[in-house]
Amino acid sequence: MILTGPAIAAAVAKGDILIEPFNPIDLNPNSYNYHLFPELYKASASSHQGDIPCLAIADTGLLLEPDCLYLGCTDEIFHSTRYAMTLVGRSSVGRLGLFVNISADLGHMGSCNRWTLEIKVVQPVIVYPHQCIGQVAFWQTTGLSDPYAGRYQHDERPYPSKDARLLSLPREADA
Amino acid sequence: MILTGHAIQEAVDRGEIAISPFESACLGPNSYDFHLGTKCRTYDSLVLDSGRPNPSTVQEVPPEGIVLDPKRIYLWDTLEVIGSSRYVPIIRARSSTARLGLFVHVTADMIDIGSINRLTLQLHAVVPVRVYPRMRVGQVTFWVCSGEIVPYTGKYRDTESPAGSLSYRDFGVSD
Repeated sequence: MILTGPAIAAAVAKGDILIEPFNPIDLNPNSYNYHLFPELYKASASSHQGDIPCLAIADTGLLLEPDCLYLGCTDEIFHSTRYAMTLVGRSSVGRLGLFVNISADLGHMGSCNRWTLEIKVVQPVIVYPHQCIGQVAFWQTTGLSDPYAGRYQHDERPYPSKDARLLSLPREADA
Repeated sequence: MILTGHAIQEAVDRGEIAISPFESACLGPNSYDFHLGTKCRTYDSLVLDSGRPNPSTVQEVPPEGIVLDPKRIYLWDTLEVIGSSRYVPIIRARSSTARLGLFVHVTADMIDIGSINRLTLQLHAVVPVRVYPRMRVGQVTFWVCSGEIVPYTGKYRDTESPAGSLSYRDFGVSD
């Protein structure tokens, strides 16, 4: 079962869900809004191996280009040992053709971090620091649980893939 | 918990799920197939700004359809009015649609409880694809929620689909 907004607020009050910072205005009927942390890694076909620049999003905005992958993260830290989480984009940014994840929408129970976003745009889109960009939903689970203790456990910034093989973008000369 | 086709039918009969027009033939084992409407909205400019209004144009799509350009985002209405005052709708493509490389949403698959409207689909084609009005393009599933229900009162409530992004309103920018 998916938690309604009032159920999310009650779980935060009980300590079953941590959202930091938490602001009741960001509760929706069945999710909680998150915001865009003002740093993005940018990878493109011309990126050299392991050399992915980290860009600051200025108050005047940053133009995201198609054909690039941007790794950003949420302003908020999300954590729950009781509920599983799924991350979706806000319809307002989906309508601009901005993907916020690349088919990796599940947040494991026990993970505690700023959620890394895999951002890709269809048309060029200007984004701004701390803008509301998506939503997290919380799901009741069934069965015994082994909370997440994986390699992205305490990320506090956008984090490129920790799989060294996945990080090996082709060099321009190899492409 | 996800509703089965029979449970969707019963909830429609009870008035807890709105699907209009509704045809039993579109029920699947745990979803309902929806169709593209006849209206498609595209942005007038290639570069989009999430902090400002982006002028756009709606066209009535002819029966012979249109070819989607992978470099553009297309907002398209559904033939059906869809929503629920009790369950959380989540949409996805039909497998036949996905096998053509056609996204029906851009990481914005979850609909708020109480939002009852024609959907605004976010069509993105990986390779050029011809699509037709009234084609059976996606599925809506319905999920049981836990907690008090506070229905959607957000900014798309009274919009006519397909509605362009109202992201700029988050920045205090008015129309």
